[in-house]
Amino acid sequence: MKIFQIALGILAAIGGFVDIGDLVFNVAAGATFGYQLLWVVVIGVVGIIVYSEMCGRVAAVSGKAVFDAVRERVGFKAGLAALVSAQVVNLMTLTAEIGGLAICLQLLSGLPYRLLILIAGVGLLIVVWFVAFDWIERIFGYGGLCMLVFAVAAVKLHPAWGAVGHGFVPHLDRESPVLYAYFAVGLLGAAMTPYEVYFYSSGGVEERWGPKDLGLNKVNAMIGYGLGGFLSFALMIVGGALFLGQGIEPEFLGTIALGAEVPLGQIGLLLGLVGILFAVSGAAIDTLFSGAYNLAQFLGWEWGRYRHPRGAPKFTVTWLVLLVLALGVVMTGVDPVQLTEYAVIFSAVALPLTYIPIFLVANDRTYMREYTNGRIANALGILYLVVIMVIAVTAIPLMILTNVGQN
Amino acid sequence: MRNRHASDLTPGVVLALLVLALAGCNGGTVDRHALQRDAENVASLASEGGLLANEVTKDHSTKYFVRVHAKELSDKASNLQDALAERPTSPGITSDVRKLSKLAGKVSRELEQLHLHPTDSNVAASLEQPLSDDADAASELAK
Repeated sequence: MKIFQIALGILAAIGGFVDIGDLVFNVAAGATFGYQLLWVVVIGVVGIIVYSEMCGRVAAVSGKAVFDAVRERVGFKAGLAALVSAQVVNLMTLTAEIGGLAICLQLLSGLPYRLLILIAGVGLLIVVWFVAFDWIERIFGYGGLCMLVFAVAAVKLHPAWGAVGHGFVPHLDRESPVLYAYFAVGLLGAAMTPYEVYFYSSGGVEERWGPKDLGLNKVNAMIGYGLGGFLSFALMIVGGALFLGQGIEPEFLGTIALGAEVPLGQIGLLLGLVGILFAVSGAAIDTLFSGAYNLAQFLGWEWGRYRHPRGAPKFTVTWLVLLVLALGVVMTGVDPVQLTEYAVIFSAVALPLTYIPIFLVANDRTYMREYTNGRIANALGILYLVVIMVIAVTAIPLMILTNVGQN
Repeated sequence: MRNRHASDLTPGVVLALLVLALAGCNGGTVDRHALQRDAENVASLASEGGLLANEVTKDHSTKYFVRVHAKELSDKASNLQDALAERPTSPGITSDVRKLSKLAGKVSRELEQLHLHPTDSNVAASLEQPLSDDADAASELAK
C-alpha cells in the first residue's frame, strides 16, 4: 500500500517536526508576534526537506546512516564532539517528551503525574520492544494526524487572512527585534532538530532502502515534513488568533489544547489532546531510537530495531539505559516545557556538527556513485549551511538577552 | 587524585553552566521591568482562567482537563504571589509589587475553585467576570 510507504516521513515529521518543542515555540510565537513569523517556518520546512532527502539518499545508496558518515568523514575528535552534543540534546528532548506524554495523559485521565510518568515509560518500553518498526511508524505517524484538528481550529477562529498572508513575507520586527530574532532562531532550531535526520536516515536503513527507493525518499521527505510545516502554520495561527489578543502566554500543554477546545468544543479538545499524545509519543520514540542509533553507529556496533534484541544487544541496552535515564530526570519534577525550550536552543548550537558531514557525504562519489547532490541540492545545501551557522552562533546569546524568550 | 579546578572544565561546559545560571535567574530585587513582566504573567493566567471558565460554563470541556489545567494555572499564580510578597523591591514600586502579589493570590484562589468544581457551570460562570477584572487590573499594573 503506497500510503503506508510514506509512514516513515510522517512519523519523522509528526514525531520530529511537531514535537513538544515545536508545539511550544509555534503557539508561543503566534501568541507573541501573531502571524509575523510564518515565513520562518517555511524556511525551516524547506531546510529539513533538503537535508532529510540528502541523508535519506545517502542511506539508500550507501546503506550508511548519519553517524556512520560522521565517524568516517570528520575524524574521531570532531565526531566525538558531534556525538556528545547529539546525545545531550537527545536526552533532554527525550526527557521533555516523556514529561509531555505524562502531562497529556494527566489532562485526559486526571491521574497523578508521577504515576503517569511510570505508565508512559512502561508503555514506551512495551511498544519499542514488541511492536515492529513499520507498525510503530504507522501507529504514531497516523495517530498524530489528529493534530490536524488545529488546522480546523485555525480556520474556525477566523484569523485575518490578509495578515496571515503577510506573515509569509520575510520581514523584521522593529518593536522587539531581539525577541523576534530569538523566536526565529527557536523556530528554525525546532524545525531542523538534528534527531529528525538521525531517525529518518536510520529508518531508511532499517527499511532496507536501496537506489530504487530514491523516489520514495523524496516523497517521504516532502509530504512528511510538508505536513509538519502545515501543522506548524496552524499552531501559530491558533496562537495569533486566540491568545495574542487576550494577552495569554502559552506555558502549558493544556493551553495549546485549549486552542482547539475554544473554537471546536469538547471534540476539538479530545482530538487535540490525542493528537498531542501521539505526537509527543512519536517524538519520544524518535529520540530514544536516535540516541541508540547514534552511539551504535559511531562505535561500529550492530544496530537496528529490525534485528532481534539479541542480534544487537549493545544497541538494545543503549536505548534501555536512555529510557531509564530520561525517566529518572523527569521524575525529579523538571518542567518538560521549559526543558524543551533549552533543548531546542542547545540543538540549534549543535546543528552544524550534524549537517556539515551529511553535506560532505552526499557529495562524495566513493559513497554515492552517480547519486551525489545535483546543482539545486548543492545550492540549497550551502545556503542552509550558512543559515545553520548563523543560528548556531546566535542561539545562546539570544537566549540570554531575552531571558529564554521572557522579555 | 588530581584536584579538579575550574580551568580543567571544557569551555563548552563552562558556557553551558553560565548560560543556565544567567537564563535561570529569577530572584533578586523586583525592579520596574520585573514588575511589568510579572504583571503580564498574572494577566495572562487570569485571562486563560477566564477562557477556561467560559468553556466550563458552555459545557464544552471535560472534568479531568479542567481539574488538571486549572490547578497548573492556580499553582503558577500562587508561586508568583509568594515571590512578589517576599522579594525586595526597587524604591517607589513597593506598593504596586505587593498589590500585584495580592492580585496573584486572588487569581490563584479563583482558579482553585475551578479546579475543585470542574463540571459546575454555575461556579464557572461566577468566576468569569472576576477573572476578567483581575486580568484588567494586572494589565494596568503592567503599564
